[in-house]
Amino acid sequence: MSKNELEKLVSLQDLDLMIGEAKEVEKLGFNMNGYDELIKAREKLAQDIPKPLLARYERLRAKLKRAVVPVKDDICLGCFLRQPTSRGSRGREESLIFTCESCGRILYWLD
Amino acid sequence: METHELALYFDENLFISDMKARNKEESLQELSELIASQRYIRNPGLILDMLHQRETLGSTGIGKGVAIPHGRTVAASDVVIAFGKSEKGIDYNSIDNKPAQLFFMVIAPFHDEKNIYLPILGSLVTFLNQKKNRERISQVTSFDEFISIIRGE
Ligand SMILES: [Zn+2]
Repeated sequence: MSKNELEKLVSLQDLDLMIGEAKEVEKLGFNMNGYDELIKAREKLAQDIPKPLLARYERLRAKLKRAVVPVKDDICLGCFLRQPTSRGSRGREESLIFTCESCGRILYWLD
Repeated sequence: METHELALYFDENLFISDMKARNKEESLQELSELIASQRYIRNPGLILDMLHQRETLGSTGIGKGVAIPHGRTVAASDVVIAFGKSEKGIDYNSIDNKPAQLFFMVIAPFHDEKNIYLPILGSLVTFLNQKKNRERISQVTSFDEFISIIRGE
């Protein structure tokens, strides 16, 4: 599967969360012997994202914790602002990178 | 988390009593595609990708025939658990090298308001650490039977 830029950002954020939560999951009884390998996979994925977009992701993450947030029923789940309906169909079908006008996060349409 | 609460996150439509998968990759695909087909997620590729990364971190085959592939993703809206059973067992690169027969796939959103994701995983591990529970689950043929065992009935 060849991923578009938005999908790569989603994967990167999923990976960052997984890395951040690894210690807690380990305590539940899961083995984590591939931790270093996962860090390498994260670097590889980050290299595959255009530099300005990656920089935007890192800035948002530093400031707001979540850089990419889901949109459900046209609502940004980062700040709960309603998005124009016309954006939704384009956000879904073309996977363009839209940001929420209120909180500035990158939007991923769930439905 | 008590198991009667855990039971709320299963779904009759996310239950396979006889999985078709013959290897680890197919088992991840079969369960994630089922979750996507029930409209819990729009893009099964993203979930599968996240699950692959999770296996890089360490096999979710926790031994004694049990696998709990899991993870959180922006691409999911709700916490769901899909269950699948393989009679023959699947080589899953588990910590005890034994084939996995019972699969519990846990998918959660990135932001989980009630903070239930980790308690769900913990409660599943505790439940499945008990031999009696594993034996009973491996005998089930219907969702009703399955869920009453999870509820502790
Ligand atoms: Zn917003």
